[in-house]
Amino acid sequence: MRNSIAERIADFLKDFPPFNKLSYDDLIRIATDIRVVTLDKNQTLFKINDSLHDSFYVVASGVVNLTVIADAEENLLNKCLPGDIFGLRPFFARNNYMMTAKAREESIVYAVPIATFRPFVAQNSEVLDFLLESFATNSRNPADKQTRGKLISDSHFLPEQQPEMQFFQSLTYNKTPLKASTASLVKDVAQQMTEYLSDCAVVTQGEIPLGILTDSDLRSKIATGRFPVTIAVDRVMASPVVSVPENVSLAEAQLLLLKNNVTHLVVTVDGSDKSPLRGVISQHDLIAAQANNPGVLIKEIKRAQHPRELRAVREKMSELIRSSLTKNIPMSHVNNIGSEINMALIKRSVEIAILDLGSPPARFAWLAIGSQGRKEQLLLTDQDSMLVFEDVAPEKYKDVKDYFLRLAKRTVAVLEKIGYAPCPNGHVAGNMMWCKSVSDWIKQFQGWMTTPGEKSNEISPIFFDFDLVFGESKIEEALMDVIYTSTKRNSFFDYLGNDALRKPPPLSFFKKFNVEEEGENRNKFDIKLKGIMPLTDGARLLALGQNLRGITNTYMRFKQLAMIEPKHSEVYLNCAEAYLTLSKYRTLEGMKYDNDGRFLNLEELSRIDKDRLKMALEHMKDLEEIIKDKFRLTQFS
Amino acid sequence: MFDWIKHINKEYPEFWKKYLAKFDHRSKRFVTLSLETSGTNPEKDVIFAFGAMGVFNNNLMIGDHFEIVIPQYKFLHDNEMDNEFVIESKQDKLGEPEAVEAFVNFIGNAVLVGHRIHHDVDMINMALEKLGCGRLKNEALDIEIMHRKLNDITDKQFSLDELARFYKIPISDRMTAVDDAYIMALLFLKLKSRLGIQ
Repeated sequence: MRNSIAERIADFLKDFPPFNKLSYDDLIRIATDIRVVTLDKNQTLFKINDSLHDSFYVVASGVVNLTVIADAEENLLNKCLPGDIFGLRPFFARNNYMMTAKAREESIVYAVPIATFRPFVAQNSEVLDFLLESFATNSRNPADKQTRGKLISDSHFLPEQQPEMQFFQSLTYNKTPLKASTASLVKDVAQQMTEYLSDCAVVTQGEIPLGILTDSDLRSKIATGRFPVTIAVDRVMASPVVSVPENVSLAEAQLLLLKNNVTHLVVTVDGSDKSPLRGVISQHDLIAAQANNPGVLIKEIKRAQHPRELRAVREKMSELIRSSLTKNIPMSHVNNIGSEINMALIKRSVEIAILDLGSPPARFAWLAIGSQGRKEQLLLTDQDSMLVFEDVAPEKYKDVKDYFLRLAKRTVAVLEKIGYAPCPNGHVAGNMMWCKSVSDWIKQFQGWMTTPGEKSNEISPIFFDFDLVFGESKIEEALMDVIYTSTKRNSFFDYLGNDALRKPPPLSFFKKFNVEEEGENRNKFDIKLKGIMPLTDGARLLALGQNLRGITNTYMRFKQLAMIEPKHSEVYLNCAEAYLTLSKYRTLEGMKYDNDGRFLNLEELSRIDKDRLKMALEHMKDLEEIIKDKFRLTQFS
Repeated sequence: MFDWIKHINKEYPEFWKKYLAKFDHRSKRFVTLSLETSGTNPEKDVIFAFGAMGVFNNNLMIGDHFEIVIPQYKFLHDNEMDNEFVIESKQDKLGEPEAVEAFVNFIGNAVLVGHRIHHDVDMINMALEKLGCGRLKNEALDIEIMHRKLNDITDKQFSLDELARFYKIPISDRMTAVDDAYIMALLFLKLKSRLGIQ
């Protein structure tokens, strides 16, 4: 009997590897034996230590997450999208599953019986290669290194793979190691090592590494008196060396060090000890790479020559933030790290632009505004910036402005390449309006503050949260002086206050979430507009009212306000916490869907999470009362 | 019961006896069923096509399928309907008696699952009557009723499309009866796990 469903499935499979390597008739035969499994959201298909199923799986619709447990934390290994295969372990190993497969949303998966598929693997080496490869990527599990090592040595496909999630920094090592010839004396080599602050010297003949002399060799062989200091180095060196190819991964390097019980690996062109020397990896390099610390990322940013490299760093940062959030590192800490890296990225982008255009004709300041200025940007949201350059003689003004406009456009383009979308309202320095001289900016700010909302509705409160990224701090000071010393500010506060209070309430009368009623985000909660913005706006207003200079971060502003005004300190502290809670949920949402996390899908939150959110949102009422009270706002002023 | 007394002396066709013998034990297999018919009146209307998929152990078995088109030439001719689509169709075709027999052999003692399944069962019973057989003895489950029960809805009807959308099941190619049976099977798997049916 003709099986039209099997044909449908074969049609689906034929677009994806490894099935695209098989003939249509074979696919029909395979499809006939397929079983279809539906998975509810968060349903587990198999988990770690389950005994092996008799089939592997292809995602037909939905998303399946593969996770491993490392250090008692669940770590996401891979998201499987329609067409991806997973659960290949039964092909290659006999022991139980090493990971957990769980549906992230409602999913349908095809279970392909191993018994059916095995003959096709045997006949077709391309299929086998593909399966091996995806098995290796799917099982990036520290506990699985043994098997993986074998697979890798069988076929060469490591170089272009994605960096291992737990060791996402690239491994940097000493590319110009100290070299010594075979005939040189230990004494001289030790002298050189001391001079160059190196803990090892590679003994070479030509470019070929013959052996290595390390601190520990000197300790165990020379200092103990077993050999005199005047002996030739080739008598005491460790030989042969343990050599690795240039693109070795961190995990593999670590494995080799442990396996061979050595302290140094010698990097050569093709990985054998018969090819020219390229560098030395020491244990210290591994520790530095594994420390996972943001310092390394910032170092990479500073060295980056190209937007592409910066983009890679930004991606690593997302990874860092994600893992920090799942490890429950305090949100304020995550914020600090994130903002530091962001600042470094923007700064480097300006530098790259300057390198392209030549040195600037006048002093200037590049200020980040909005969320970047408040140091609250964890996700790849839009970029906002302004550029202020010092006043110049009128005849030079045109040229100078021209240069800075070009510089700003360039920088904005670099940032865009990194992944920061330009602000939809055009609040970037590349815009004529926001690239001006100091005196123009002062006039602009004065205009905003004395007659807010008069000429234009364009006054955007985000311009009051700026932070110096690059250039002269004096220029930033000058602008701050204007904002904080301007005397006639009442109408301005009125404006800001009303702006802050105009946001729709987050919770309804019955303490239900006010969700979006229509559009593509129907039934989702706009956490940015209804949760985060009222808090940032409120904090900004109160901070300006209290003349809190130099603090732009919402969390810090509330903390500071609580100290200055003990009367309301409880409300302020609550708001500070609420802010962290809300931004955490937004960040998690954004990470999950690779977007700006603005719309929260409430259905996916657990009850506890929802209650937490509600608690955070309830503090907003108290804040509103304080604002109304303080600035004597009337609804229609 | 009286049915049975009425037919006690009647000689059934061979396949039907075998079918009855299968009900000695309960089946763990489910079969989702979709019919294409000319209407819902068992007296006047006829079956154009069978589509059925087997579900076993929370798995939809692709190999366990049944799809047959019945070219009802006489019916089409009598009602002056176009019969081109049947002739053009590349699906397997059988005459009605053979198709019904094959279908009964296929389902065995499995639990039938469908969307408004009573219509389908009525249609099949009528066809069986023509062959001198009794009525289907299989248990039948209706996914529409299951859905209503799960969500405590009593006053609304749900088409197959609506159900599929509700449970986020992709409905791309719905061409033949077996495609509907496939979607029903996926819906059934979801409803089954939520209602806790074993």
